[in-house]
Amino acid sequence: MTKQNLPLYLVKKIFVFLFSVFLLSVVVFYISRLAPGDPLVSYYGDRVEKMSSAERIQAENKLGLNDPVYVQYVRWLGNALHGDFGISYKYKMNVTEVIKGRIGNTLLLGGTGFLLIFLLALFLGILCAWKEDKLVDQIICKIGTISSCIPEFWLSLVLILIFAVNLKWLPSSGAYAIGKANDIGERILHLILPLTIVVTSHLWYYAYMIRNKLLEEVRADYVLLAKSKGLKKSSVMYKHCLRNILPSYFGLMAISVPHILGGTYIVETVFSYPGIGTLSYESARYKDYNLVMLLCILSGVLVILCNMIAQAINEKIDPRVKSGDSDI
Amino acid sequence: MAAKPGIRCLYARRNAQMGININMKASFDIVGIKQVPLHEPVQKRKWHQGKPVLSAVLLFLIAAGCLACNLITTKDPTYMDLNNFNLPPNREFLFGTDTMGRDIFSMIWSGGRISLLIGIVSTIISTFIAILFGAFSGSAPEWADTFLMRLTEILLSVPNLLMVLLIQAILGKANVLSISFVIGITSWMSIAKVVRIEVRQLRSSEYVIASKCMGGSFFHILWKHLTPNFVSSIMFMVIMNVRNAIVAESTLSFMGIGLPIEVISWGSMLSLSEKALLTNSWWIILIPGGFLLGTLLCITSLGNYLRKNVNQKNSNL
Repeated sequence: MTKQNLPLYLVKKIFVFLFSVFLLSVVVFYISRLAPGDPLVSYYGDRVEKMSSAERIQAENKLGLNDPVYVQYVRWLGNALHGDFGISYKYKMNVTEVIKGRIGNTLLLGGTGFLLIFLLALFLGILCAWKEDKLVDQIICKIGTISSCIPEFWLSLVLILIFAVNLKWLPSSGAYAIGKANDIGERILHLILPLTIVVTSHLWYYAYMIRNKLLEEVRADYVLLAKSKGLKKSSVMYKHCLRNILPSYFGLMAISVPHILGGTYIVETVFSYPGIGTLSYESARYKDYNLVMLLCILSGVLVILCNMIAQAINEKIDPRVKSGDSDI
Repeated sequence: MAAKPGIRCLYARRNAQMGININMKASFDIVGIKQVPLHEPVQKRKWHQGKPVLSAVLLFLIAAGCLACNLITTKDPTYMDLNNFNLPPNREFLFGTDTMGRDIFSMIWSGGRISLLIGIVSTIISTFIAILFGAFSGSAPEWADTFLMRLTEILLSVPNLLMVLLIQAILGKANVLSISFVIGITSWMSIAKVVRIEVRQLRSSEYVIASKCMGGSFFHILWKHLTPNFVSSIMFMVIMNVRNAIVAESTLSFMGIGLPIEVISWGSMLSLSEKALLTNSWWIILIPGGFLLGTLLCITSLGNYLRKNVNQKNSNL
């Protein structure tokens, strides 16, 4: 990429980004409204059953649910562009407020999980490539394959059964004990089990990737040259092989951010951890339209941004991947 | 001459790797060389070496047991025996009973049928969509291709769980077919991407052009010329899709969005585990989960066998 077309490149990227977010919002808006079900239930609770039809129509008008879907969408879009994403039917608060209260917990879980996965995968990958086909490598590979097969929810259940029910070492749900929201020790205790599951379910995928990439790298001719120059095994590994694969690893990890954050959804629901995952599960189940929209758009923006970062990293490393090319 | 012995050693190894047969001993003697046998004794490979025999046999046993569940089961899996609920494994109830008094041993076999069926049906759906979409996108003009790929990316960006929830809500109450359908239409994207790349490489090859000139339709070319070429590269992903679909079904049923508790599958059996945690009944959680995990492991090792082995050469390090 030359310097002259950098602004053009940025404009193009921003345009694609905005267009993608727009398409995403249309798709989610229509899909969420296609489903039969009563959004009034989540607003008024059980009182809906006792409403007369006139009251129902009035309530629906108040929430703007009687218009055709495209009218609703245009209104939503207009408001959203002004920064107003509507109110949550269940919590009767601005959607942004509801999310603001929860997002910290998810970021704590997902962010710590991401860091741990990033570092541990690097460590395990190098270890396995170092001891290729030795006993250590074989054992780690076997355990890794098994751990990546275990369904997340079942692993959560087993760990709860062992550590919370039988040994009573760790709490089984929530993010903190009642009334101890600011106690750091409590929070860490509540974080251990969910974190373990987030890490184990994703770790091997990335570690295995590094292992294979390193094994490919180790077979290159420059390794032979470096060795004949008299370099030690460790410095060949760290200074040459690892350096060659690290950039593509960064690219991969950029794509994986939304995967790992999305992986916290199931874990959050099993542990009833008050984060974005439980929130979006509830909102999609109980037709809290505005909340679903904003949550989908947030995660969509995150995914698209991360993809673009990954693409930019890859373009920087490998000039053959041009921005104009449609390879994704 | 004081060249480093290391280099000579490397040359020797190189030659041995490339299969060059130089008899060094005969022409001259090198002091301190590491002896590398020039002819590795070729061992005859046994037929089962490198093949996942154990997994295949296990998977076959599980599948056969599920298919023939009427012969194996000792009790009616749907019968709720209220005198014997929540019993640990014993002689009458081999795997114990669940909190509703159903015999877990019988449920495992008849529930496995549903779980495996959902895995297979949803994989067929997703592979079908993926091949069509990928082939279309791969053979379409540039702008259409870009648009379609953008669309896949957008669909991928919605968290899977949310997408499944929303689509399931459209279809109404969940049953075996609707669950397979929902899982199928939310899991085709990654296969479609691979198909698209393969088709883009194949579309300008001579035989495709020849077939086009002779008036072959899109589907004819896709089926006769393209599919046989990319089938090996998506095989691994297809097998993994079976695994992922089984996981997805059990996760959904566990969370109460999937199959209702009366329809027995491994997932819906596990949806009782919240109650089981309260009473510390480990068998309700561990036994169905163990079967689930075993099946997943067998499928994974079969899939890994199909993946091409890239690291055939010796390491240089």
